Amino acid sequence: MDYYFINRKEWDKKLEELLESHNIFAPVPNEFSLDYEVLTPSLIPLVSYNKPKPASPLKIFFTPIKENVTSPGKDEKPIIIMGVPNCDVEALGILDEIYLDESFEDLFYRKRRQKTLIISTDCFDLQEHCHCTSYGVKPWSEQRADLAVTLIKDQIILRVISEKGKTFVTETIQASPLNDKGLISSIENRHREIEDLLNRTNKELPDYKETGRLVKSSSKAIWVKHSSTCVSCGACTTICPTCTCFLLIDKPGFHKVKQMDACQYPGFEKTAGGEDPLKELHERFRNRYMCKYVWKPEKFKHIACTGCGRCIEACIGKINKNKLFIELAK
Amino acid sequence: MPAEKNIYKPIRAKLVDVIVESPTIKTFVLIPEEEFSFKTGQFIELSVDGIGEAPFTPSSSPLIKDKIEVTVMKTGYVTEYMHNLKPGVMMGIRGPYGRGYPVEKFHDKEILVVGGGCGFAPIRSLLYNLAAITDKLRKVTLCYGSKTPEECIYKPYITELKKIPKFEVLRTVDRADSTWTEKVGVVTVLLDDVKVDVKNSVAVVCGPPIMMKFSTLKLLEMGYPEHDIYLSMEKNMSCGLGKCGHCMMGKYFVCKDGPVFTYDEIKDQPHIWS
Repeated sequence: MDYYFINRKEWDKKLEELLESHNIFAPVPNEFSLDYEVLTPSLIPLVSYNKPKPASPLKIFFTPIKENVTSPGKDEKPIIIMGVPNCDVEALGILDEIYLDESFEDLFYRKRRQKTLIISTDCFDLQEHCHCTSYGVKPWSEQRADLAVTLIKDQIILRVISEKGKTFVTETIQASPLNDKGLISSIENRHREIEDLLNRTNKELPDYKETGRLVKSSSKAIWVKHSSTCVSCGACTTICPTCTCFLLIDKPGFHKVKQMDACQYPGFEKTAGGEDPLKELHERFRNRYMCKYVWKPEKFKHIACTGCGRCIEACIGKINKNKLFIELAK
Repeated sequence: MPAEKNIYKPIRAKLVDVIVESPTIKTFVLIPEEEFSFKTGQFIELSVDGIGEAPFTPSSSPLIKDKIEVTVMKTGYVTEYMHNLKPGVMMGIRGPYGRGYPVEKFHDKEILVVGGGCGFAPIRSLLYNLAAITDKLRKVTLCYGSKTPEECIYKPYITELKKIPKFEVLRTVDRADSTWTEKVGVVTVLLDDVKVDVKNSVAVVCGPPIMMKFSTLKLLEMGYPEHDIYLSMEKNMSCGLGKCGHCMMGKYFVCKDGPVFTYDEIKDQPHIWS
């Protein structure tokens, strides 16, 4: 893969210039966490590089929490999203399969994907619940994003992933090709160090190829036990980069509002006839695992869990998916 | 340049007639403002402006292109609004969605159709389709069950059906009254009386989940292979596009992969009868 570099000051200047023509989002630390901010000139120096992971999943840029899907919407500026961790980038695989499905393409999703440049960042660190490698996801991007950014000292290093990314680097940013093989191998060594650290940290977790079998063969007792503190709030699905279930709400004028929904909410699958396959809380709780680890892998080419760990962080009932899997694997 | 297809946007259809079928079931006759056609067994999302939409399989003939009929049982919020609608209002239609009945596979076969309650709606559409190709079929037997004689729907159509060569109609009710001259009992009692060459037959079942379950078990007992039993599944088909997740039945999106499945396709999936 081709690498380019540009001095941090020059990069920041370019970003400021791009604010005229683009909406740019980038992770900026706040007193609680790290999350995407709408970039402004004063925030540019505060942008975080090589840190996992913004509190919000990438999907919010492509499938908003709520939108009218029957009106054309505003013609917005092109979008640049910076600092996307690879767990979120890889989640686009299944989102694309669902929303760009040839028989029913969602034009709102497609237009957003087309006008967005995704600049991933290589994770040089990990958070408490990061476990991407246990799902076969690397902590750096080599596909689906357009570029990957790394900050080393005062140099911004850009790894080209797509043609769109190459055009951006060579024509818009006018960065220089990086031929320093030593620097490139130091970045690649860092990749491997983080990968090893993730593998060591999560060594008790089962391989993702085993997760479906483990979930499928589990007893009801384990789901009753682990869902005992679940309050059906749907935080796990809302924060998940691959969960995309939604509800269509009718508004006057035959308008439809598409709103994020969650299989954890009571009545999610209830039919007009009154049948409700997910009536009990433990059934809804298990449904999410069956969906992610059994049914979606049977139906789609891409995985439905990328090991970001946000569902663990977001759970107010302190349900830890990883502990559940460790118990299932015993 | 033609406008891009928006999968969420309904087309408008004028409600031109409302037919009362039973105390809880009405048929809505609609004329879509744009070209609209469907294959029998496919479903549509029908909306009441600003109130909501719900999935229904049209009950009219797929061969009629200028109007569409939808039979609706009053069961909840949206259907209650529908039941109060008067001819002249505009409704919304999205679709058609999903996989319908593979009529071409029914050629040269005896077709045993088992329906219950409002499950007669998709079946009527199928029967219209089959009536147009009787020369290609061996026989069509309809076994229909409802709770009471009053709740038997499509009464004039039943009379019509009985006159069609190769068609046989058997009916039962759970609770008879003094006017009822046909069978009494759940729909499976009709299957005891059916004379059918199972080896050269397919079965089609549509109705409430409990009726579908016991009809399927009875058909299996009669010797129907699992791949020759066609079931029209009812799930919470909300978007119709294989995206919103509400109708997931194991690995299937019922809205896109169904709603018509053979029993062997779905027998290992969870919650098929609930």
